[in-house]
Amino acid sequence: MNLRMKRNLIVVYALLIFFAFIYVLPFWTSFTTSLKSKRDIIYTIPIELPSSPTLDAFGEAFEAMKIPLLNSIIFTSLATVFSTVIGSLNGYILSKIRFKHSDVVFIFFTIGIFIPYQSVLIPLIMTMSKLGLYNNVLGLALTHTIYGIPVCTLFFRNFYEDLPDSIIMAAKVDGAGDWSIYKRIVLPLSAPSFVVAGVFQFTSIWNDFLFGVTLARGSEALPASVALANLKGTTTAFWNIQMAGAWLYALPVLVVFLLLGKYLVKGYLAGAVKG
Amino acid sequence: MRLSKDNVLTLFILSSSIVLVGYFIYVFIGWNVLISFSDWVGLTPRYNFVGFKQYIDLSNDPVFWSSLTNNLLLVLLFVPGSLILGLFLAILLDVVGTRGEGVFRTIFLLPFSLSFVITATLWSWMYDPSLGVLNTILNSFGLSFLKSGWITDPKVALYCVILALIWQFSGYTALIFSAGIKSIPETQIMAAKVDGASGFEIYTRIVLPQLKSWVLASFVILMVFALKAFDFIYVLTNGGPGYSTYVLGLMMFIYTFFATHFSYGAAIATILFVTVMLIVIPYVLRVRHR
Repeated sequence: MNLRMKRNLIVVYALLIFFAFIYVLPFWTSFTTSLKSKRDIIYTIPIELPSSPTLDAFGEAFEAMKIPLLNSIIFTSLATVFSTVIGSLNGYILSKIRFKHSDVVFIFFTIGIFIPYQSVLIPLIMTMSKLGLYNNVLGLALTHTIYGIPVCTLFFRNFYEDLPDSIIMAAKVDGAGDWSIYKRIVLPLSAPSFVVAGVFQFTSIWNDFLFGVTLARGSEALPASVALANLKGTTTAFWNIQMAGAWLYALPVLVVFLLLGKYLVKGYLAGAVKG
Repeated sequence: MRLSKDNVLTLFILSSSIVLVGYFIYVFIGWNVLISFSDWVGLTPRYNFVGFKQYIDLSNDPVFWSSLTNNLLLVLLFVPGSLILGLFLAILLDVVGTRGEGVFRTIFLLPFSLSFVITATLWSWMYDPSLGVLNTILNSFGLSFLKSGWITDPKVALYCVILALIWQFSGYTALIFSAGIKSIPETQIMAAKVDGASGFEIYTRIVLPQLKSWVLASFVILMVFALKAFDFIYVLTNGGPGYSTYVLGLMMFIYTFFATHFSYGAAIATILFVTVMLIVIPYVLRVRHR
């Protein structure tokens, strides 16, 4: 490496560190604030560590958010499992069984990914109340499952497109039917795809706010996202409690991001390029 | 088609998904359009047909126009801002390569993976004018003349929103562009190097032109977001101060569920839907043919 390249590389690192600092700043100040007492918030500045760290804010935030967190865990897990399983079945049909109008069905699902949910919100709320699923964790699970079907179908269709047709042909020659091929050959090869789709669905359903705030406002089915927003709306919850609440709500996604980040990235890219 | 047991199962699985998605998306959209032609106000559904009344009222509503203008500003500033910063970060990451790329990419992508409710909470602390992060930092660097009311100042509030959204999205666009750069065959870069191209020339002449389809994909995703943005703004500013950060998605929500003016909200939602589809449908048709 010559001198000029070395100098350029130093500039690049300096820029990256500068941007990394900006990206981390909101997280850092939120972290320090979550460990502060109300007094420390007034007498220290946000980027400083607390003079006497305390977990009191976490205790108070947890008190306000424990039931919403549980609600979110329930409907997020249910909807993640159901939407990925349905997506896998549909994806197999669209990529490996195929039929006359599979092209139309593909467009039908793909457009469903992009629609602004505001345009279905009023009929959705009416339908859910009629079904007795308004203010209900199962209602949220059902909603997230249904609106997750398009993206999961697309994910699995693209995953299965990459499976060589020859494996399936070989089984067909042996007389296996479509669904025994799915069970014996396709499904066992799908584990990584299920992780990618599952991680993607888990984080997006966990992060949702719009469905939560319309279908479960101020009630026992409250999701964690809405509970955190409510915490922010109340004057009694000072900054330390809001920040602690944000970390509590972020925790599951942070764990996924750090442990399964590789799969999450694959999900982001699959969502971006092909649909 | 011979209806074997397999075919029946296939038909059952696919048709139940089509019925569910068809009903919850396509029928609902039609239903919403129907509501937008009614005069439904209050909690009991009412379907008196009043034609385009809600749309005409909207066209005379200054809140609608300022929401639309703000959406337009998101399109004009947030979309190119996220594209350019993402591209810049992707190039920096590519130069560094295996010598640290992973750590930086993780840091840049972290905001995108979190809920808008979280990022809005973090930024409300950043922008808090009295005790918050930005003003206290400016103070301690002796730059207090730069202090601002941030999201409490109607003149700058929207730009604060846009800046924070660029922060949240540019790690994602950087990820997409990185994948694009990695898909360019190494031999092309080598050949250019042999021909004596500088690093800068390699990026402008060889890498950039080949990122076209990746730019298009990010562009569509960012545009759709800029049009339907809701959660982040709802939590950070709730549209305020005044109507200075109102956008269509937020206006729809507030007019529908707080003012219970359902027909009016449905009309806003319909406009939002049509605008998004003008971008999405050509894109989906194009992607299908690739």
